[in-house]
Amino acid sequence: MKRQLRYGGLAAAVVALAVVPFIVSDSLVQFGINALLVAVLAQGWNVIGGFSGYPSFGNSVFYGLGSYGTAIAMAQFQLPFWLALLLGAVIGTIAAFVFGVPILRLRGPYFAIATLGLSAVMGAVVANVPIAGKNIGLILPLFKGDRLFYELSLGLLVLATGIVFWLSRSRFGAGLVAIREDEDAAQVMGINTTLYKVLAFAIAAFLSAVAGGIHAYWITYVDPAGSFEGSLNVRMVIMTLFGGPGTVFGPVIGALVLSAVSEVLASKVSTVASLFYGFVIVLAVIFMPKGLLDVIQGVRTSGVRYFGANMRRFRL
Amino acid sequence: MSEALATAPVIFEVRKLTKRFRGLTALSDVTFQVSPGEILGLIGPNGAGKTTLISLISGTLLPTSGEIFFEGQRIDGLPAYKRARLGIGRTFQVMKPFPGLSVLENVTIGALFGATEGQERKRARAREKARELLEFTGLSRHTDHRADALGGPDRKRLEFAKALALHPKLLLLDEVMAGLNHVEVDEVVELIRKIRGRGVTILVIEHVMKAIRNLSDRLLVIHHGQQIAQGPVAQVLKDPQVVEAYLGKRRQ
Repeated sequence: MKRQLRYGGLAAAVVALAVVPFIVSDSLVQFGINALLVAVLAQGWNVIGGFSGYPSFGNSVFYGLGSYGTAIAMAQFQLPFWLALLLGAVIGTIAAFVFGVPILRLRGPYFAIATLGLSAVMGAVVANVPIAGKNIGLILPLFKGDRLFYELSLGLLVLATGIVFWLSRSRFGAGLVAIREDEDAAQVMGINTTLYKVLAFAIAAFLSAVAGGIHAYWITYVDPAGSFEGSLNVRMVIMTLFGGPGTVFGPVIGALVLSAVSEVLASKVSTVASLFYGFVIVLAVIFMPKGLLDVIQGVRTSGVRYFGANMRRFRL
Repeated sequence: MSEALATAPVIFEVRKLTKRFRGLTALSDVTFQVSPGEILGLIGPNGAGKTTLISLISGTLLPTSGEIFFEGQRIDGLPAYKRARLGIGRTFQVMKPFPGLSVLENVTIGALFGATEGQERKRARAREKARELLEFTGLSRHTDHRADALGGPDRKRLEFAKALALHPKLLLLDEVMAGLNHVEVDEVVELIRKIRGRGVTILVIEHVMKAIRNLSDRLLVIHHGQQIAQGPVAQVLKDPQVVEAYLGKRRQ
């Protein structure tokens, strides 16, 4: 009964989100598309960073490759959007296998640095490829339909969350969590760690690439600096950590809340917005280091003392 | 090697196993066999190469040369996870629980991925099996506690339960009694006997002499990576080379 109620509530929330663009203003719909897409990125990061414990700072590469794959297919080969999107997703996923096999041998900070390097270099590489429009980038055919893009983004987020939900109860997901907790122990317990890590990376890449493809068609152009923006990595990591890494809904909630916070700050106190954004994150790290979802649970069991306990635990 | 040994059934065999780390030879030409259901004690001073041997068998390290056979199949080239699925379980000297997971989840993972015959691919079934093993190892009251909240002796029990969840035929125990008091040592000895009673073959590294003497059917002694003695417990412990390795030379 309780479970049915929960699923019902979830379905209602998705329907409510789906109806939103038919009610609110255009600018809010545009905000919604951005927020949903970045939530997909956060959810993708959750698979490799939250579940598998590999802190990737290179998922923007897959986002960019998805954008470019879609753009090249549409602008250079006049393929329809659906096909182009698929192509972008395939390119992003293949890249995850190619880069993942060597990079996922590195652990902890070394892995993070390697992915950071990847994200720094990829834009420069693409800027030298003629078919990708070199430095200038590509213009995609114009399609006006913010509502459609909104629904697409929402659909992708539902898919991403569905995948993570499956991870949270499947054998595969248990394997990833074991890798996060102790990779050596996971190995001697019969888990094919190399395969699992690469697959997790590929899932993250697939989701990021599709998000990139949708974004590219929506804003109708791609360029190296915009599509391979490194700061995107930091944003998805912060959002996932803010919401609760390794949980099903944490990254979604974190992404939506932080997107809203930064949007409000940007419109109300434009010049110092990023300062306030930073302040919010610092507070979050101090008072809720394990994410929003943990706060909800912690406050329910131990009230306000939850925050004090966190501060003591981390010796702040 | 005696006639009797050569003809006894063998579940596990190591032939001329050697491991070098750059210039350092950690193990050289180690050769032995284990019969099904046997408890083989592996002793030797610190740094003798005991843990290296266990790591070579479980696959966390690859040998420089030599061969390892398990149930007639050569396994020294297989990755660790495949060896685990064949039925080789190990514990770690520096214990490796999955710290953030509950005790139950820790053991469940073993049941999900272990040896093919005992494997439960569904989480719910694997959890049931894990509960059984928590009962068996005496961890039931900690089922829902986080693994990193356990005290020393219970962590050892968790290592056991995790390794057993694989449904192993061969269990490699790396100093599971270190740091335990007399009562706890006796409990662990009892537990190891119970595991053998289930038909599991066991290779145990130990420094607690009283325990290993009680427990082992045979002893293998390693010193500076060399195998210096092998055979029945009483005989090996009287061996002058073994005595020298442990106590040093008698002054003339």
